[in-house]
Amino acid sequence: MLILAKPRSANDAPVVRSKPTRAPVRPQPEPARHTQSGLVVLTLGGLFLAVAAQLVRLTLTAQVPLTAAMVEPVAISYSRPDIVDRNGRLLATDVEVHSLYADPAKVLDVDEALEKLSAVLPDLDSSELHKALSDRDRRFAWVRRGLTPRYAQAVHDLGLPGFAFRKELRRAYPLGSLAGHILGRVDADNKGLAGIERHIDDTVGIDPVHAARPSEKPPVRLSLDIGAQAALEAELADAMQRHTAPAAAALVMDAATGEIVAAASLPRVDPARAGDALDAVKKDRLQGGTYELGSIFKMMTVAMALDRGQVTPQTLIDVRTPLKAGRFEIADLHALGRPLTVTEVFLHSSNVGAGMLALDAGTSVQRAFLARLGLLSAMKTEAGPVAAPQIPTRWDRTETITISYGHGLAVAPIQFIAAAAALVNGGVVPSPTYLRAKTKPQLDAAGPTLSPVISNETTAAMRTLMRSNVTEASGTGKRAEVAGYEIGGKTGTADIPGPRGYRQGGVISSFLAAFPMSAPRYVALVMLFEPKPSADSGGKVLAGVTAAPVAGRLIARIGPLLAP
Amino acid sequence: MHTLTLAAAFLAFSSAFLVYALSYDTRLIEAKVQAAERAADRARSDIAILRAERAHLSRPERIEPLARALGLAPATDRQFVSSRAQNALADAAR
Repeated sequence: MLILAKPRSANDAPVVRSKPTRAPVRPQPEPARHTQSGLVVLTLGGLFLAVAAQLVRLTLTAQVPLTAAMVEPVAISYSRPDIVDRNGRLLATDVEVHSLYADPAKVLDVDEALEKLSAVLPDLDSSELHKALSDRDRRFAWVRRGLTPRYAQAVHDLGLPGFAFRKELRRAYPLGSLAGHILGRVDADNKGLAGIERHIDDTVGIDPVHAARPSEKPPVRLSLDIGAQAALEAELADAMQRHTAPAAAALVMDAATGEIVAAASLPRVDPARAGDALDAVKKDRLQGGTYELGSIFKMMTVAMALDRGQVTPQTLIDVRTPLKAGRFEIADLHALGRPLTVTEVFLHSSNVGAGMLALDAGTSVQRAFLARLGLLSAMKTEAGPVAAPQIPTRWDRTETITISYGHGLAVAPIQFIAAAAALVNGGVVPSPTYLRAKTKPQLDAAGPTLSPVISNETTAAMRTLMRSNVTEASGTGKRAEVAGYEIGGKTGTADIPGPRGYRQGGVISSFLAAFPMSAPRYVALVMLFEPKPSADSGGKVLAGVTAAPVAGRLIARIGPLLAP
Repeated sequence: MHTLTLAAAFLAFSSAFLVYALSYDTRLIEAKVQAAERAADRARSDIAILRAERAHLSRPERIEPLARALGLAPATDRQFVSSRAQNALADAAR
């Protein structure tokens, strides 16, 4: 504007324009220019000051109400890696499902909508939903998660305004209840709650997803073999029926690596049904409970006596006089009325003999030996913590005798089988695992192997003892024999403690087996809880006629599947 | 001077047109990519469901009765042959 200030008159010839004539005109625009630029500077400065002041205010007053408008929980779910068995067969996977939600602000008629929805989904909780949908401030409410495509289509066909679907992932267990205890379960958001599922959350990790996108993580490979697992569960179900037992459990483990090939506790739980896991009847008896295991514990006592060179299998022990322990008198079920060799003590399952061997070694030696086998400390597997052993507060002469034949010390069966594996595999206590073990080179690189807790000679003697218990006519385990597998083992019939002393009638009958006995590759444990006498078992509940034949049938059936 | 202005104007218009065409193409390609991604997602989800279905159909509880109905049974010790017997058989065949 100022530049355009030209001489006003056209008559002003350039010649005439001289300094003196212009001089009075020039100072005129200067003050105006000053005021205008000053105004601009002032405005800008004021704005900057305002911004600075606001910054200072925000910095000083820390409690800025950061209202993220997330009043409703964010609909988030997790994608999980698949679970497969040792041969890569699928045990658990994520599938896409349709989850129905509502935007209460957009629902026109709550009552009508609910009435129509209930026609399609009869088990809908109407009162709860009515409350949620009537709240016009809400913008999100789950109606039903995990609908199958058929139901989703039916709801979609209702054409209700304000209702829509989200695609979500939901865990599916295509094999139903198979290995239910081991797999565990997940919650509505697909987060692991128990078992291997929980283990996956803690180790491999799960990914939060907003869409239904399956995990790209490699599948988690278990040590289980689906074929062997199904056979084991079928044999147990058959045994429960045969002996009218309310519960049964069995486990087959690799004696060297601790890999569990098949394990089940019946009645089974369905991982897809949340209520099952809370049912006390359906608890995992292999690692969720401790039991006084009875005579199978004599394996430990005999191994201890042999290992410290206290006796040889041929040493004679005078078992004719019953042992006195406090108020009780311990006698043998089938006393032969003559001294027995250590082998015979094992074969006839003599309580007096086991008690005498333990007394000879002493309480502290017994305690140290059991501790070395890991029977006195807590244990953990991938399926969760194992119930801690119930160690008697007082461990004196009486307890030494009772523990020698498996009463007074309660351990979880899975912990016992690990200790028993050490007696036949050369003395190393394996840690039971549900995951496929690493390959041999990886294991070698991982570091030195565990040092054996018992000698090779003891292992050899134990193998012979366990094998003769099945082959000899006088052995308690002879009904477990199956041609071709060289089964060896020990029977146990344990009384069950009740509120006042031991209960009458109810027993836990079990059989601890290893095969093939010349170089054991697998150890197996079969337990029947409170079997009833039947014609099949000759009217008895002793393990020799209940658990031992079950173990034999089990091994005969899964043996061919375990062949390398 | 005049030519320069005209040339600049032409350049401006042509580049504007080019940019417009490019962004149009990009949007088209983006839509295609999204469609492909959706198809891949759908395929992935279908695969997951089919895998679960296959596992469900081949579950031992279902297969066992079918196999037994066909006369199949678990292998017994009578079906095993020791390597020594195998060699003997091979020798006899020779």
